[in-house]
Amino acid sequence: MHTWLEPKYFAWLEQGFVFTLALCVCTGLCATLSGFVLAIARTAQSAAIARAASLYVFVFRNSPLLVQLLFWYFGAAALLPSNWMTWLNTPHAATWGPVALRWPSFELFAGWIGLTCYTTAFVGEEFRAGMRGVSRAQEHAAAALGMGRYTTLRHVILPQALRIATPPLAGQYMNLVKNSSLTMAIGVAELSYMSRQVDTETFKTFQAFGIATAFYVLSIAVIEVALVVWQRTGSRALQRGRA
Amino acid sequence: MSPFDWLSTLRYLLLGRFPAGPLGGVALTIVLSVTSATLAATIGLAGGVALAMTRGIAHLALMAVVAFFRAIPVLMLIFWTFFLMPILLHVDVPGLATVVCALALIGGAYLSHSVHAGIVSIGKGQLEAALSLGLTSWQALREVILPQAVRVMMPSFVNQCVSLVKDTSLAYIVGVPEFTFLANQLNNRLMVYPAQIFLFVGFVYLVLCGALQWFANTLLGKDAR
Repeated sequence: MHTWLEPKYFAWLEQGFVFTLALCVCTGLCATLSGFVLAIARTAQSAAIARAASLYVFVFRNSPLLVQLLFWYFGAAALLPSNWMTWLNTPHAATWGPVALRWPSFELFAGWIGLTCYTTAFVGEEFRAGMRGVSRAQEHAAAALGMGRYTTLRHVILPQALRIATPPLAGQYMNLVKNSSLTMAIGVAELSYMSRQVDTETFKTFQAFGIATAFYVLSIAVIEVALVVWQRTGSRALQRGRA
Repeated sequence: MSPFDWLSTLRYLLLGRFPAGPLGGVALTIVLSVTSATLAATIGLAGGVALAMTRGIAHLALMAVVAFFRAIPVLMLIFWTFFLMPILLHVDVPGLATVVCALALIGGAYLSHSVHAGIVSIGKGQLEAALSLGLTSWQALREVILPQAVRVMMPSFVNQCVSLVKDTSLAYIVGVPEFTFLANQLNNRLMVYPAQIFLFVGFVYLVLCGALQWFANTLLGKDAR
């Protein structure tokens, strides 16, 4: 029996997992929305906007997430006015600990910003690839029907682009789950952080890392299954629409 | 504050305590990237060929192994190798070796997937033509399929290299004195220029990855012509 983890430590790991999931859902939603905007910006008619968007993608895709997180955590803290920092820091002090957090700690806030900025660049590129996958003829046909740029985008390009971009997007959400482990470097109490914590307290390294690994594999598998289910139902709906 | 010694700090970030002590900083990051990229390419090539050549149970087992390495975070794998390698090998393994091992395994898993996809993309006709010319299946793979497949999978090799360079920053977690680790150490010691330090660090990685991409693009562009 003593080879297994005590319930207390298992609860820690569970808590870390819930934290990871919450962080990933928040980040995923924000990154999807801003990635969408980024993809539109990259195909914008104005050269300045398009160039700025591609610079954003270049910068955020080609520097390590860890460095970005450290920058947001240490660097942004120094750059922000000090009264902002106290405002960000104060309300969480009472709830810090293994109890439910009402107010996100600054670590969590920095982790969320960092992950969102990083993931946005990747999600935006997947959206753009999806949009480029729709043939030019579709755009020309829409123009011939008298549709404007916005209407074309909304009713012709995007529905098809989304279907093309779904599998790589699911891949990006998987990457997000895996990347969220890096926030432990700035002290966010997510799954990897908790597994290390359990490891240092109990010396049951195998169990601690094993459970954490299983949780990660589980969440990746759930995303994979969701993708397959979504694609099945989606293609069935398409066939029904055609019939 | 005493006149801040920019030159020696920069030198420390670039080389670590090199001539006196072990190599560190940007130089170590580059060494780490090159070593693990070479290993990852080897594993990836072998794994991809094995995925393409095996059938049935062996194929499924191999797929499961690859899927496992693709599903866990790099950080988690670094923890595993850091913890398991000394137990399995019965020697004291330096942190550097465990990180190289973890990065090579993850990179290898991703690459074997793309090598497999590249081989599949070449199509059965080529293989059948090669076999009917009297080549053995190994010869067919080496002389006919792989040279074509390599062209298809080159972009994913480049992408994997870029993400490897970025992932070397994770060696920081187990205390390998590479660039990010030294920068963080410097930041903790100085406590005055955090934003500038990390912007500089990001910039150096940007230059490394950008140069890698540019180099690959010009090389591949020439190849296509």
